Amino acid sequence: MPVGIAVIAVLVAGCSSNASSTVHLNWNYFFDSVFHPDSQIQNGLWLTVSIAITSQLIGVTLGTFAALAKMAKFRPFRIIANVYIWLFRGTPLVVQIVLFYFGLSVAHIYGWPTINFFGIHIDGAIQAGVFALGVNEGAYFAEIVRAGILAIDPGQMEAAKSLGMTYGQGMRRIVLPQAARVIVPPLGNEFNNMLKTTSLLVLISVPELYTVFNRKQGNYFAPFEFYLAAAVWFLLLTTIWSVIQAWIERKLAKGTAGSANAGPGLMDRLFGRTPAVGEDVPVISGGR
Amino acid sequence: MTLQKPGDLLGAIGGVPMPPNEVVVEAAGVEKWFGRLHVLKGVSMTVKRQEVVVVIGASGSGKTTFIRCMNHLEKIQGGRIFVNGHLIGYREVGGKLVEDREKNIAKQRQEIGMVFQRFNLFPHMTALQNITEAPLLVRKTPQAEAVEMGRALLARVGLSSKENVYPNQLSGGQQQRVAIARALAMKPALMLFDEPTSALDPEMIGEVLEVIKELAREGMTMIVVSHEMGFAREVADRVVMMDDGQIIEEGTPEHFFTSPTHERTKSFLSKIL
Ligand SMILES: Nc1ncnc2c1ncn2[C@@H]1O[C@H](COP(=O)(O)OP(=O)(O)OP(=O)(O)O)[C@@H](O)[C@H]1O
Ligand SMILES: [Mg+2]
Repeated sequence: MPVGIAVIAVLVAGCSSNASSTVHLNWNYFFDSVFHPDSQIQNGLWLTVSIAITSQLIGVTLGTFAALAKMAKFRPFRIIANVYIWLFRGTPLVVQIVLFYFGLSVAHIYGWPTINFFGIHIDGAIQAGVFALGVNEGAYFAEIVRAGILAIDPGQMEAAKSLGMTYGQGMRRIVLPQAARVIVPPLGNEFNNMLKTTSLLVLISVPELYTVFNRKQGNYFAPFEFYLAAAVWFLLLTTIWSVIQAWIERKLAKGTAGSANAGPGLMDRLFGRTPAVGEDVPVISGGR
Repeated sequence: MTLQKPGDLLGAIGGVPMPPNEVVVEAAGVEKWFGRLHVLKGVSMTVKRQEVVVVIGASGSGKTTFIRCMNHLEKIQGGRIFVNGHLIGYREVGGKLVEDREKNIAKQRQEIGMVFQRFNLFPHMTALQNITEAPLLVRKTPQAEAVEMGRALLARVGLSSKENVYPNQLSGGQQQRVAIARALAMKPALMLFDEPTSALDPEMIGEVLEVIKELAREGMTMIVVSHEMGFAREVADRVVMMDDGQIIEEGTPEHFFTSPTHERTKSFLSKIL
């Protein structure tokens, strides 16, 4: 923490000493963007958060089905799931975004018309963006769900079956609820990523937070002030999310006293965790 | 079919679940391979209504595998297993065994209770929820009725005060008693036990065996894999000795205590007695 403050201090000092040269920084751009965000920034914020949430929900749903399909007895399900995961993890998200939006519409496959959702008009670019982010996330999330399911003792499904439950009933009532506890921490990290990854939608001009600042810096030719403000806003979003995440995990850990641990504290989440020597750190893969 | 006078424990589920046939289990020539490992080599066994069979045998002899085949947790490659007259896990099509539909297998399993060595309680559910889950979900028992039965079962296994406790707050012996209650809640006509006390600390073995003995006294049909010979002597109608995927000796508990014939049986018993 103090190091961070020092870095900022040096930056600010450096900037002001440069003021005499040709570079002139207008700090009002920065402070206004942060403390008096105009309607563009407010809308961008709202859009970023709602796109992230919607995309994450799509990703969780698709990922769960893909994980189940990947473990299915029925071979075609396994093949479909594997091809899906292979395609979306094997190609850049950037390419997926532009291909879905520009590619599909220019090829006259799907034109992304504006839709009216309970009185809210949702632009085609937003739909395409959410679609790309969600489908991409699903491919990664499938592996997280699969790891979560595999982490559950096979004896649980056997006990369920021995009581007359079908595979589906055992999955839904016995295995998945237990896997959920394993999945929640990596899910939190995925959403942290998602909040930031929405900025890629600048490519298809979705007016989310980053796009708004990108435009502003161009209009005023003040990249340092506006990009720094964008960074502050994203940092605020991910920090708020870390607080919520820590709270959720503490709640979940309470359900079964003693078994689950509460996961890293807020400080570890924000500044990274350095495990003590000899300490076992559970690793759940799935990051990109 | 007349029900027996409800005993203490089985009274909680409305009396002894009566198997419809005189013969409850009829296993004939069961063959099981794990890849190239021949684990069951033509095992046959008949268990009659209200009979208690204790299965003994060295580690790796196939005891667990055999009872897991009885509710189709393992596939078999040859032979037939009938429980309550139903061919377990398969349909016979032109003399060949074809695996049955999942729904039918699940239905067959409702009649067969199983208690595992490592309890396998559902950790995200309380003791009571562990017991009521399957009746609610599978048998569609009304909530109030399921809860009443669950409480009665918990009381009979001596765990009334643990109703709302999660498995990880229970001792091994308590967990196993909940697991037995959970299996009984489905009113099975047959109970399978796979070394129900071998994962327990010595001081907890007694409390679990007491429950199983009570079940035996009340007339539950059971197959128990166990090396507790004192227990076998008290409740077993028959003891079955398995060795290397085969049943090599069968008889009353007394027979095994006084005059085992097979060399492998003698050397095995000398190790556990
Ligand atoms: N899922 C499996 N895959 C491959 N081999 C297996 C599997 N389960 C059991 N076996 C093998 O089958 C043989 C019989 O195992 P089983 O568990 O039935 O023996 P057991 O008599 O119950 O032994 P124990 O007293 O140790 O419980 C052993 O050689 C074991 O290694
Ligand atoms: Mg065994």
